[in-house]
Amino acid sequence: MGALLDIIGNEVTYSSAMRFAVLLLFAASGEWVAERAGTLNISVEGMVLAGAFGSAVGYDLTGSTVAAVFVGSVAGFLVSTIQANLSHRLPADQFVVGLTINILVLGLVGFLDNVLEPTVVRASQLTIPVLASFPVIGPALFDQPWPLFLVYPLVPAMWWLVYRTRWGLEVRASGEDPNSADVSGIHVNKRRRQTIYVAGITSGLGGAYLVLGAVGSFADSIVGGRGFIAIAAVIFGGWTLRGSVAGCLLFGAVVSFRLSLPDQGYDGINTEFLSALPYIVTIVGMALFAHRIRPPAALAKPFLRGLN
Amino acid sequence: MAISESASREPQTSQQTSQQWLENEPAVEVVGITKRYGQVAACDSVDLVLRRGQIHGVLGENGAGKSTLMKVLIGLVVPDAGQVIIDGRPSVITDPIDAAAKGIGMVHQHFSVVNALTVWENVALGDQDRLNPQAVRNEIGDLSRHYGLDIEPNAIVGTLTAGLRQRVEIIKCLRRSPRTVILDEPTSVLTPGESEALFEGLRRAVEDEGMAIALVSHKLDEILGATDLVTIMRRGQVVANLPTSQSDAPGLARAMVGRPVSLRSERMLADRPLADRPTQAERAGSKSGLPKPVQKTASLEIRSVYAQGDDGRSLLNGLSLAVNRGEIVGLAGVEGNGQRPLGDLLSSLLPVSQGEVRVDGHPIVCGKAGAMARARISVIPEDRHDSGCVLEMSVAENLFLADPTLVSRRGVVDRRKMMDRAQGLIDRFAISCEGPTAPMWSLSGGNQQRVILAREMAHAPRVLVAAQPTRGLDVGAIEYMSSQLRQAAEEGVAVLLISTELEEILDLASRLIVLSEGRIVGGMDRDQVDIEQLGLMMGGAGT
Ligand SMILES: Nc1ncnc2c1ncn2[C@@H]1O[C@H](COP(=O)(O)OP(=O)(O)OP(=O)(O)O)[C@@H](O)[C@H]1O
Ligand SMILES: [Mg+2]
Repeated sequence: MGALLDIIGNEVTYSSAMRFAVLLLFAASGEWVAERAGTLNISVEGMVLAGAFGSAVGYDLTGSTVAAVFVGSVAGFLVSTIQANLSHRLPADQFVVGLTINILVLGLVGFLDNVLEPTVVRASQLTIPVLASFPVIGPALFDQPWPLFLVYPLVPAMWWLVYRTRWGLEVRASGEDPNSADVSGIHVNKRRRQTIYVAGITSGLGGAYLVLGAVGSFADSIVGGRGFIAIAAVIFGGWTLRGSVAGCLLFGAVVSFRLSLPDQGYDGINTEFLSALPYIVTIVGMALFAHRIRPPAALAKPFLRGLN
Repeated sequence: MAISESASREPQTSQQTSQQWLENEPAVEVVGITKRYGQVAACDSVDLVLRRGQIHGVLGENGAGKSTLMKVLIGLVVPDAGQVIIDGRPSVITDPIDAAAKGIGMVHQHFSVVNALTVWENVALGDQDRLNPQAVRNEIGDLSRHYGLDIEPNAIVGTLTAGLRQRVEIIKCLRRSPRTVILDEPTSVLTPGESEALFEGLRRAVEDEGMAIALVSHKLDEILGATDLVTIMRRGQVVANLPTSQSDAPGLARAMVGRPVSLRSERMLADRPLADRPTQAERAGSKSGLPKPVQKTASLEIRSVYAQGDDGRSLLNGLSLAVNRGEIVGLAGVEGNGQRPLGDLLSSLLPVSQGEVRVDGHPIVCGKAGAMARARISVIPEDRHDSGCVLEMSVAENLFLADPTLVSRRGVVDRRKMMDRAQGLIDRFAISCEGPTAPMWSLSGGNQQRVILAREMAHAPRVLVAAQPTRGLDVGAIEYMSSQLRQAAEEGVAVLLISTELEEILDLASRLIVLSEGRIVGGMDRDQVDIEQLGLMMGGAGT
């Protein structure tokens, strides 16, 4: 009990929870868009890793964190073009493609990392005056490495894109009822490809944030399955952006909780159990809310004209 | 741009456009269109001319190729041969957007609206310019008033009745100010009042704005009442082309089917005086030698069932009814008064909060998957695309989907047996398709309906619930479906016929009950039908 109170009252807990949550937020916000269009995009893991490595190389070459973040998002985008075009131009199964991409990126990055050995630094800290001195959570939200601040406009931008633009309307229609969307004159597969590009870019940014903002160095094990946790966050959130954000924050807290326990000298709780916690929470959440949450009706279903 | 254009669609504007078109000038000409699917020629060098200021009826049996022809016109089907000429210019229509740009719009036979979106979002779907919700909502308001099609722009389409969903589709089509409109069986889900309103609106569009309209329908009286010209198709070919004023219902039916057909309405006239006619129960009783109140316990009995939807709305409101062996009970009522929940209840899709369902006196658990089917209640569902069949699977798989035990041994499907049995059903129910392995989506709407009937009848049901069983069927197929239902009753099945078409019920049922707001508000024997009283009950006024 004492341990819990220590952790809850401690600013460091929130900073570290935020660090984990932000990576998930980057990846999940793009993933959410892709899923709303009907793709369960499991290559998000590979996209994050490519973004992380890209930003490391970018920094190594230019010495600029801004350029590094840019290169990271481009790397994520490049991976997404493979997923998008194989699964929504050629009729390759999206899961097979995604799985292959994840393995491919992991292998390629491991190899290139050995060859290039990029060195990275942590991006400079940005402190928002006044807000950062807010007790307990102020530093976590407003005194952080600068790439973290990209997530604040990103999330509302995704919401706006999906709910307030014509493009977003067509995306939602493509994910719910591709045949009707097609009959209405929408290029379903084009929209689906575009949403995967969006996921690639945001995941790439997430990877860059991970390297430059959270860790300050690169290793090929740096993502370690957190792309999949981002997918779990979207599912946990019932395919709403609000829910996905809540999922990211919750899962971020769980991960940081796991890491901070041993630091503070408590090791009574099984850390493996804690690693599995996000998935357990997702499954329990799905079981509890299954009658209320509804995935996009055409999620993970390929669209071919004529099947109507 | 599209917004300002159609937002300005006021009565004066349509007056102006009326001077810009010439009476009976061809809007769209179809020349020698051929489309083959494997062995089947869905369209076989079809010629058709749609003229401005005219409503052109297209009639034909199920599978005659009507929908295929219409899909060519909006770019969903690429023809193997032939040409489409729009306003005198040969044109290639690549997709629905292209068709819209060339002034052709379509209201589809199967809904093309997205259930998860709101009405206005659906209407705006497929536009090119910036999304402007308020402008779209205003336009919907204008169009609703102009054509008499009332709708709430912010409603989620999935929560609307079939009639309203179709209204959304019509508004979506009309909003693009098309010069040619194709309506593929637009009234199959509308109440008579709604259809009348629709045709009034269409007539106005044709007369004021010089629209050319193609109306695909199986309803002869609708074709006779609403069109200027009729084209009749059979097996992919045009077999007749004549002015509506020179045709009559028996003539059209004969041309369509290629043989004389007994029409429901005629049969009803011929059957007068009604009291002389034996009821189904009597006929069934005399035939199988059963005593007249066939059994003390009804075959299907529903006792004061209450059920709520997910949103807490009450769906069934103390509904009680009983159907005896060998009788056809017709459940009349205006669409949206509980027909769908009742169908769901008997398909184990709807749990109840109170009340019970019994088959031959044994209570059945409600809402437990498969419980109703195990009690041998077969349901021909109302919407064959929502819950009737799996379009991606083959005809054979669809036939045995609900109960694979018929063709499997120890849980393993015997493919040979499945194919043989499927072929048997295909022959028995005269399903026109390439064979048992043909995918369900390749069948015409009417033939999909036959597959569902075959599937349900293959189980030797005790209770057969037929929800709108002839929706979308041609006259020949309706005749067939009716005879199948009669035969089922004669074999001792308890048949519950749920229909919004009074004619159908009057034709088939021996007893009528009326559904209003989720419960039965009254009933009468077929021989003592008082149409006026019935109308009052359906409106919820009678007692
Ligand atoms: N995509 C397809 N693949 C294979 N065959 C098809 C396909 N679409 C239609 N057909 C076949 O073409 C024929 C004509 O079908 P169509 O849908 O045009 O009929 P219809 O006149 O509209 O009938 P209904 O009144 O039942 O709607 C049918 O025999 C059908 O099985
Ligand atoms: Mg059709």
